Amino acid sequence: MSARADTVGAHGDSLWSKAFRKFRHDRVGMWSLAVVLAYAIVALGVVLGVWATDWAEVSGPKWSPASVEYWFGTNIIGQDIFARSLYSTRTAFEVGLLVALGATALGALLGAIAGFFSGTWIDELIIWVMGVLDSVPFILLVAAIAYTLQGSPWAMHIAMISTFWIGTARLIRGEVIKLKSLEYVEAAQAIGVNRLMIIFRHILPNTFHILLVQATLSFVAAIKSEVILSFLGLGVKDGMSWGLMISESTFEVLAGFFNNFLAASVLMFGLVMAFNMFSDALQDALDPRTVK
Amino acid sequence: MDSAPTSLDPVRASTLYANQLVVNLYDTLYAYKYLQRPYKLRPNLAAAMPKISPDGLTYSIPVKKGVYFADDPAFPGGKGRELTAGDFVYSLKRHFDPSTRPGGAWLWQGRIVGLDEWKQAGSDYSQEVPGLRAIDSHLVQLTLQRPYPQLVDTLALGFSGVVPREAVEYYGREFSINPVGSGPFRLVSYDSSRAVLVPQENYRREPVDLEYEGYDPVTQSRYGVALIDGRIPPFVDRLEVNFIKEGSARWSSFTKSNEIQYAGLPNEQVERVLASIDPVTLKPEYAEKYHMKTALEAGFVYSTFNMDFPEFGYNDNPERARRNHALRCAMIRGFDWESRNESWYSGIGEVFPGIIPPVVPEFDPGLARDSVTYDPEGARALLAEHGWNAESLPVLTYGTTPGPTSRLFFEQFRAWMMRIGYPKDKIILKTYATFGDIVKAWRNSELPFISKGWGLDYPDAENTLQLFYGPNASPGSNDGNYRNPEYDELYRRAGVMLPSPERTELYRRMNQMMIDDCVAITGLSRVGITLWHRNVIALPDRNFVGGRFMYYVDVLEPGAPELEALR
Repeated sequence: MSARADTVGAHGDSLWSKAFRKFRHDRVGMWSLAVVLAYAIVALGVVLGVWATDWAEVSGPKWSPASVEYWFGTNIIGQDIFARSLYSTRTAFEVGLLVALGATALGALLGAIAGFFSGTWIDELIIWVMGVLDSVPFILLVAAIAYTLQGSPWAMHIAMISTFWIGTARLIRGEVIKLKSLEYVEAAQAIGVNRLMIIFRHILPNTFHILLVQATLSFVAAIKSEVILSFLGLGVKDGMSWGLMISESTFEVLAGFFNNFLAASVLMFGLVMAFNMFSDALQDALDPRTVK
Repeated sequence: MDSAPTSLDPVRASTLYANQLVVNLYDTLYAYKYLQRPYKLRPNLAAAMPKISPDGLTYSIPVKKGVYFADDPAFPGGKGRELTAGDFVYSLKRHFDPSTRPGGAWLWQGRIVGLDEWKQAGSDYSQEVPGLRAIDSHLVQLTLQRPYPQLVDTLALGFSGVVPREAVEYYGREFSINPVGSGPFRLVSYDSSRAVLVPQENYRREPVDLEYEGYDPVTQSRYGVALIDGRIPPFVDRLEVNFIKEGSARWSSFTKSNEIQYAGLPNEQVERVLASIDPVTLKPEYAEKYHMKTALEAGFVYSTFNMDFPEFGYNDNPERARRNHALRCAMIRGFDWESRNESWYSGIGEVFPGIIPPVVPEFDPGLARDSVTYDPEGARALLAEHGWNAESLPVLTYGTTPGPTSRLFFEQFRAWMMRIGYPKDKIILKTYATFGDIVKAWRNSELPFISKGWGLDYPDAENTLQLFYGPNASPGSNDGNYRNPEYDELYRRAGVMLPSPERTELYRRMNQMMIDDCVAITGLSRVGITLWHRNVIALPDRNFVGGRFMYYVDVLEPGAPELEALR
């Protein structure tokens, strides 16, 4: 018996190796992955202090146009918009990764428990919690969490994780209900394997393809939400993000200065678009119905 | 207006925004003449200027007869009753009643005989205050502990608006949003986005005497204010005051329709709207549509260290106190006022050393400008000399309100401090949800560093010097909690003097002390550029006349013959 019995294809290859092969032949998927990796390298460079170390400094004149010295120009107080844009990439990845990991892990955990114990009070309780959180408007929930955490820099992350996990949990719950009726799970139960062991060792690994796709979707949603929340003053507290840059640009645009707005919008568009396409390609590659 | 007032109760009219509405809803004994510059007081609710005893301690103020409060359910039968001297006495007492959470008690604290004692005895309104009496129904008598030359100015502030006791008791805590006054307008609706006022039916009918109001045909005729001479204000049927936080939104509302009829020119529109900055002139397409007025603000923006924080201010350890002094001085040298002026005030604000701003007669144009001269090298050297380095520099929490502008102010400050050696992660941003929240934090002495603006209540430098007077420490207006016995002594001495070269000398000595002690990063007086539609007959003022100018506003039909005559 194998925990991955159902993932082995007709030709003996695993679902993963087939998906990898399929993804490699998906040109759009590969290009989008390359773009995402390029952004990731930018973000990593910021984390390692290779570039954009001067994002907080005031180095130039007010509203300087794009030039050799300031590639994207400067903002109203003379900060280099290019450096701030690069730093914002790090923020986007930080928020995206943390929220994607947190929301996916929480969604997987609670979804799997709800699915395994479907029909019991545990399942009902988790479904009720999901319903309650779903019914609170996202922005209000963030505001409430931000207020409760008294300006904590993690308020935004916590708020996103506390809502984004629900979609993942619903999917995982359904998948686990399907999986738990399979023979290998019934066999494990019959020989007395611990329930938690069954959930986490034998069932959950078989939902990994769903989790991967959900994580990429959460990543994109987190980046978009961060921009909205930072624009509204509920997001990034100390640091820089594309949302804050767009927020800064609200009065600059009226003065005819578009650099902040364009830099943040174009970079955000590029990452979100690439990640969405990457996510789609990944979904196609991992879909067992299309894996041949 | 930029922001909605949190309360319309005169005892809490601490902000410019609250004051602008309060003076239209409530009467004050005195007011500044609408058009006269320099500003001059005139009787408003008072029947005449006060009679002052030869020793300068007793003020007898006659109150006009036949003045009625607005009709309101708080009164029997809903009919507003006549305002009496007793109402003024009651209104001033409220500033010394802690339950009203007053914001303006500092104006009269330690000034009026028996008033502080009345507060200490429990603020019992049935008890008389010897220095604050209604001699009869229409005569107020104020007795001072020592001369207070600015007393009459304080009686023109929104803080001294006269309220009826019935309404305060009828509405309780809700009184702050249910104003009942005898002012020219009454409130019909009020929320976070807009206040709607209509003329108050019981308001006294007093025609405008332009000559008395200080009309200057040479400088003011182009605004058409001569058209209101002899007429009885208020002239508008309805006054809508919109609270629009973002300057760009206010500007859009001002230019794109007839939603709002006067607005300040936002910084980001300066290049688009102005033909020249020095002197300030409008481009023809704007001059065609709008009137414009520029004025140096009666106030300034500044930042102060909170001296109660031992990391920056007073410290029991003399050596640390000395080092703290050097730290503050270095931060002052590291603050780039010219860049701030350029970034945010189009470079037309006036940077000056100390806390006596250019608008008051006591301003010293010859004062050394070291404290406003950007000198990052000098700042770094001073820090090194006193043993400050990245490890030893204390964490600075910078409080602000949400919004991109506030945030960029912080970033600009942090960048300058980084240049003198402050580590980025030691300057921490703390965001307060509203302006009211941060004001509360200042009052509770929760922040080590306070950045704010101060609008003078009256045209006398005493009003800015009190910002650093020891007894006014938090929760008073001395947010920096500066306590210098020598300064306080000079303040008290100057406080009883009439304007004179001797008093000016004392003011300037206090100013120098404050500069030498490196208590505050100061200052800059902004130049306000105000525009209003050409069919609006007005001379807007954000200084001492304040919101009272709305009483005199008239709106003509666009294209009216009177308007054509003005062109």
